Parts: sequence; structure tokens; C-alpha cells
Amino acid sequence: MRTPAGIQKCLGSVNDEWQSGSRGGSGSNFSRAMVENPQKLRKNLKMTESDGYDLPERLKRLVETIDIANIFTEPLTRSLATLLEISAAEMNSDEASVLIRDGDEGDLRFLSAIGKVAEQLINIKVPAGKGIAGFVMSSGQPMAVADVGEETSFYSEVDRTTGYSTQMILATPLSHNGEVIGVLEYINRRGDPPFEPFTPAEMDRAAAFAMPIASLVNAYESAKLFRDLGEKILADDSAGDLGPVREWLGELRDSAEHREMMDLAMLIREVAGRGEAERILCKEMLESIVRYSDSKSEISFLTL
Amino acid sequence: MATVPETDIGMFERGTRYLQLADDWRSATGRGVSIAIVDSGIDAEHPDLAGKVAASVEARVENKRVVFDPSNSGDSAGHGTACAGIIAKISPDAQLFSVKVLGAAGLGDGQAFLAGLEYCIKERYRVINLSLGTTKPQFFSPLHDLLDRAYQAGCIVVAAANNLPHPSFPSVFSSSLISVIKSGETDPLNFGFHFGEVIELTAPGVNVRTPWLDKGYRTLTGNSFACPHIVGIIARLMEKHPEMTPFQVKSALYAIARDNQYRNA
Repeated sequence: MRTPAGIQKCLGSVNDEWQSGSRGGSGSNFSRAMVENPQKLRKNLKMTESDGYDLPERLKRLVETIDIANIFTEPLTRSLATLLEISAAEMNSDEASVLIRDGDEGDLRFLSAIGKVAEQLINIKVPAGKGIAGFVMSSGQPMAVADVGEETSFYSEVDRTTGYSTQMILATPLSHNGEVIGVLEYINRRGDPPFEPFTPAEMDRAAAFAMPIASLVNAYESAKLFRDLGEKILADDSAGDLGPVREWLGELRDSAEHREMMDLAMLIREVAGRGEAERILCKEMLESIVRYSDSKSEISFLTL
Repeated sequence: MATVPETDIGMFERGTRYLQLADDWRSATGRGVSIAIVDSGIDAEHPDLAGKVAASVEARVENKRVVFDPSNSGDSAGHGTACAGIIAKISPDAQLFSVKVLGAAGLGDGQAFLAGLEYCIKERYRVINLSLGTTKPQFFSPLHDLLDRAYQAGCIVVAAANNLPHPSFPSVFSSSLISVIKSGETDPLNFGFHFGEVIELTAPGVNVRTPWLDKGYRTLTGNSFACPHIVGIIARLMEKHPEMTPFQVKSALYAIARDNQYRNA
């Protein structure tokens, strides 16, 4: 069975705190919890192999296991729900949700939701390109629909599942580092229909809320990866399938942005290695580019 | 605006003739103008679009390359149909070409719409409606190249701005395409032009009633719906002046918007 040290070996650059909970005050609560709880999880996962547990004990252990499994992601999903509450109030709406990628084929699933049918929405899947959310995800374009309608749309299918009546929707993409990683939606207004349509100013407000929400979603996706990794490693039958982790790290290394940064760093090193005059010239040129870029960025895109 | 014959008059005089734009485009219907809609497909069966969609193709990945096949899968999201409906209302005789790049499994967003744009340039569609964009920095350069190719080929690319508080491509490229942002205006002919702004054109894009899936209609808000309004106007201009270059089209839009501004004041 793999241990936290094994995880560190696999990940290479993970801080020592991962395994050295005994450092006393130096480690954060988070890292200490990570050390303590996997042991619990390991113990709990073994319970299915053992005989003689009575039902209450098994249930207690199951609950503990679930808590541990969610230790990475739960604070993030809780923060997401809080942000949804705050932003929905701003939009004079009670119903909001966050959808994220599900697999590599463009499908979406509800990650977080607030409102009357929030619990039913969680983990409902939206096939690639379907519905307003699917379109916003694939096009990167925010949009609002004032009359979602009663026909055979994706929303009527969801409504049939939840018993809710979607009349109006505002959907905006969640972007992180230029990539659309999910969709933020607000549904209907407070009170009874007919509702006032969402305004362009509210679309701008939703886009502003989308920024911190996208950061949380990105953090959630990373945390989930580690959570899944932890679960696999701690499960006896994990057999060390670290493919997804390697793939994720590979993607980071292979990203165009990362490659460009590496090229730039190598170029600077090469120029700087050619002598004092080159070093000074290179530094001055880079500084003037920064100054130019700063002055250019005064043209604000916030006016859009 | 008429074709200027090669004469021995001076460059300056010839140049100024380009700006003498008659009002005949106002009664035009986009006849003979090909318009590509790079989007989620078009429901050609919608009553508002019957007989207006000349051809539909759909992106597919083959050996890591994007290829386009004839499509009869209609619209996967409703958005392409909505855009087509707006164009058809303004220029009912224009020929619409659906280039479906959204909703196909396994296609990255930027990759799909880059391929769609390239296809439209190869096909030499006169006007290209791009109600989509990407914020991925790696697409900045290839998109820029493609838009230059479109410009040189005489294809007029009209893109929707992003509502997000950061730039999206290609809408921030100002020289080689026409970018549009929504306004609360309802008259499609009463559009605006703000020279010096990142996004120059404003057109109706708030609560626009337009065709949707299942022969229905929706009331929609977004820059996506401002973009096809300008496409419809360009089709009218190009019916009357088929020789117009992208540069001239932009000048004409600027001139008309100045008239609008004057009239509104």
C-alpha cells in the first residue's frame, strides 16, 4: 500500500509538510489534517475486509471516511455556495448554480447550486453543447434568455426532474487563465412571475462575480485531483494508477504558456551570459516593455 | 458607392468618391450576398429561415485535423438559429451558410472556431458572422493571421465582443475585422460607431426576439445578438456595392453611424 511518502515521491515537488505532521507548530492545520486523516481513511477503508463490525460502528466509520474524502474540496464548495448566495442576492434572484466540465468531451455537471431545488441539481449532467449552459461553455459568450419557454429544451428536461419552472436565465462563462472551465447561471427573479428580464448591467455584474467563482472552481478541480489521488493511494487496491495525475502535470508542463515562459527564460539567460553590456541592455529593454505595457493597459476593458 | 473606373484623375479625387454613399442600401435585401454563420448550426426548418439556408457543414475531427462534412443535424443549442434569424430579418434575401463548430464532441473551443473561420475564408463567403470568441492567449497569433487572410481575401469578418472584463479574441483586433457590442437600441439601422474604442460598433443586443429551436422564439440578450445585426446591414450594403472591400465596408458603417448620431441628436 502506498503511503503519504509515496505520494510525495510521485508528485516530486510536494512540500515535506505532507508527511511530517510531527513538525509541531510549523505545519499548517491543513497539512496536519492531511497527515492525520489519511490514516483514519486507511483504517476505515479496511473495514470492509473485516468481520464483526456492528452497523452503528460501520456507519460512524463511513461518515468519517466521507468527511476525510471531502477535506480538500469541502471548504471550496462551501465558499462557492456562499458566493452564489451573495451574488444571487445582488441579481435579485434566489436560484444560482455553477456547472463544471465533466470529462473531456465538453459535457457539464452541476457542482454547486443554491435555491429550492439545489440538492436535486447537484451532479445532474448536461451533454456537450446542450442548453444555454452548453452553448456558453463552448462559445465563451455570456447570454441571457428572458423566456426559456416550455418546449423540448434541455431546461424543460431538468425542470421535469426537479419540479422547478425555469423561466429566465442568465449564463456567463467561468474563465481561468483564458480557458473556459465552467458556467455560472442565475435563474428567475425573487417573487412570482412575470419577471423583469436580466439587464445588461446585471450581465456585467455576473461577469464580475464570475472571476472569484472561477478561481474557486479552479482550486476545487485541483483539490479534487489530490483528493482522488489520496483516495486511490490509501485504498488497498489502488495499485498506483497515477495516470491522471501524470497527465495533469504533463498538461501544465506542455501548456503553451509554460513553454513560452521557458523559451523566454532561456533567451534571457543566453543574452545575459554574453557579457555585462548585453545584460544591462536586456534589462533596460525589458523594463521599457513593462513601462509600455503598463501605459497600454490603461485602455481598460472594463468598459465593455 | 460605385466602382471607380481607372481614370487619369488624381488619387485624392478618386479616393473621395468612395465616401459618396447613396441611401439605396436601406431598401436592399441582401440579395446575392453569401453570409457564413460560424456557430452551433442553423435550424433550416424554422419558418423564418425556410429557403434561406443555402448549405450547412459540420466540423469533425479526423486524424487530429478538423474537416467539414455536409450537415443535416440542424442546431445543437439554438444560438446559431437565433443569429441566422436576426440576419434574415434585416437581409431576407441573403444566402446563409451554416458552419457548425460548436457542440461537436472532442473539439476544443478555440480549435473549432479557428477551423470554421479558415473554412469560410477558403469558401470566400463575403460576410462571416462570428458570435464567439476565445480568451486563450495561444490563439492570439493564429487568429490574427487568419483575420489578415480574410481581409486580403475580401471576406468581412464581424465578431461579437466578450462581456467579460478582459479581452477576448478576435473581437479586440480592430484593424482586420468589425467588432460589435450590444446596445439597448431596438432599430437595427440605428447602430453606432465609436472610433477609438476597443469595440467600435454598437447594435441592438438587449431583449432581441428571434427564432430558436423547435420552431420557437426567444428573447435574448448578449453581444452575440448585436453581431448579426451588423452582418445584416453589411449584406444590404454589399448587395448594392458588391465590390466593397472590408476597409470600405468599415468606412461606410462609420459614415452611416455618423448620420445616425446626427439624427438622434
